[in-house]
Amino acid sequence: MTWFSPPGVTWISVSSRLATARLVLWWIFVACLAAPALVVASSEGSAWWVLPITLLLLGVWVSWIIVRQVSAHAWAERDDDLMVRRGRLFRRVTVVPYGRMQFVDVEAGPLSRGLGIARVQLHTASPGSDAHISGVPTEEAARLRDRLTTRGEAKLAGL
Amino acid sequence: MSVPTAAPREWTRAHVVTPFINALQGMVAVVIAMYAGFMQDSERSGEAPLLLILTLGILVGGLIVVGIAFLAWRVNEYRIGDDAVYQRKGILFKQQRQARLDRLQAVDVVQPLFARVFGFAEARIEVAGGRASTVSIKFLKVEEAEVLRNEVLALASGYRGAAEERAEPEDGVASRSETRAAAVAAPDRPVYDVPLGRLIGSIFVSWTFVAVVFFVLLVGSSMTWLAEVDSTASNAGTGGSALVAVLSVAAILWAQLNANAGFRAGIAADGIRLSHGLLDTRRQTVPPGRVQALNIKQSLLWRKLDWWKITLNVAGYQDQREAVSTLLPVGPKQQALDALWLVLPDLGDPDPTGTISTAMVGVGTDNGFTASPSRSWIFDPFQWRRRGVRATERALLIRRGLFVHEFFVIPHERTQSLAIRQGPLQRWLRLATIEVHSTRGVVRPVAGHLDLDDAIALVEDQARRAREGRKRQTPEQWMEAVSR
Repeated sequence: MTWFSPPGVTWISVSSRLATARLVLWWIFVACLAAPALVVASSEGSAWWVLPITLLLLGVWVSWIIVRQVSAHAWAERDDDLMVRRGRLFRRVTVVPYGRMQFVDVEAGPLSRGLGIARVQLHTASPGSDAHISGVPTEEAARLRDRLTTRGEAKLAGL
Repeated sequence: MSVPTAAPREWTRAHVVTPFINALQGMVAVVIAMYAGFMQDSERSGEAPLLLILTLGILVGGLIVVGIAFLAWRVNEYRIGDDAVYQRKGILFKQQRQARLDRLQAVDVVQPLFARVFGFAEARIEVAGGRASTVSIKFLKVEEAEVLRNEVLALASGYRGAAEERAEPEDGVASRSETRAAAVAAPDRPVYDVPLGRLIGSIFVSWTFVAVVFFVLLVGSSMTWLAEVDSTASNAGTGGSALVAVLSVAAILWAQLNANAGFRAGIAADGIRLSHGLLDTRRQTVPPGRVQALNIKQSLLWRKLDWWKITLNVAGYQDQREAVSTLLPVGPKQQALDALWLVLPDLGDPDPTGTISTAMVGVGTDNGFTASPSRSWIFDPFQWRRRGVRATERALLIRRGLFVHEFFVIPHERTQSLAIRQGPLQRWLRLATIEVHSTRGVVRPVAGHLDLDDAIALVEDQARRAREGRKRQTPEQWMEAVSR
């Protein structure tokens, strides 16, 4: 859990509603596949039940992964930089200095808006710094954006 | 027209010859292709009327192209101000562009073959921005383009302020001309050049060329074999496609020669000057502190000759990256050191030559490098010995490659952001990989498979060093501190 936690860092986990949003999308997808499989199984007989059961097991397994991933997703604001942590199996921490931020995006789709979460994306001059925080509660996202831009202006350096 | 002494402050068009050069560039290839196709089609002679129609068609088409190019030229205007270069253009869709000089990354004077023949050049002003942020002014007389470049650089460097302060307060006009005199006179001190013989040698001693030779031998022998087995077999198809393959690779080799022939690097008050090109020439000026990252590389074939190649990232260069990202196409170790010194005069290390040598060919923990532990052999059976990082006062060095010797140099104040990542196998072995994010370009520094504790410490230290680096970095107006 705390593989990268330098002293003085408090990680703020993203909202668990992100897991809800992802699970909804995932189960809609599974349902689309499972419906025809169920129809086939009920008409064709016992051997065909393998198909929907496999789909169900797959759905449960991926759901577990989604929950684990969301619980690993967190961010931390420090004096000079923002850290974003992501991933369980392949895990990654991105450190973005405030002075390097070119602009900040806050975006939310219909589902995210319904759940009251948003995605905060940080842009630097580098295409490599893929620093985004998904699933930030909406008010917190607005506050975060404002804090980030204020700090960015205060510490802005040239390229 | 007399030689200009100053870049225009009012809206000005490029030279009137521009539409013709633009049209000519596009037309020549089309015309050659059409005539060639025509000649091939009608081996039979006596098709004079057809040829006439073709010629007329090309003439009319050419007139239309020139006409459109002319209209485009009429509405394409530029001017320079104290803080920015302005450009407006577009026939139907108007576009206004403003390149802020405090965001200036590089200024290039480019001469494509056709423009060069007639003594014209394109000025490209690269600023840090999103996609397509370049202000391209073409075509100008070479002298005009050079004056424009010098003045843009002088304004961007903050030199103007100094000139105005030195002049009498009521003598505003004199101070401006003084600036311009100074701008024109920024002298260029040559540091190194690449002889043509060595460049051609480097092109022949490359894997591309080895592959070509191998391929030609393979095809040649198989064709001979086929002819022996079955004399009636038609080999024209095989031979033809092989020829096309060889020609396309030859085009790659030619492009390298064309881009880098006559490579010269020098240093002036307004930055690093690089000039190169055989038919199309390019003179680049990169102000101090604009180089974001460097990659120094030696292919296995070059090891005996001790040749090195250096590529770099500059923030403004986005399209045509290959053409502009070379600091040294090929050169011996000493030249590579000179080139590094050109970009980073102070490496922040008491023994820069020793450290760089270790980065070039060293292994293990010599000279203060933090090496990848031996358990990382599972990822890199060969190069794990070479993998290592070292931070000097001013830059981060990342070393890798056992067969291809390679290392990266990233000045601390140019680090955009950092990432540390770890996969499942790395987690089991307590290893981690560090990415250093630089601006868009050909250099992408990664330090693979470090010990986890080393990696975490490095991220922490690097974040701190980058912070300190940004505090003392070269000011955006780099001459300001000197001239005040």
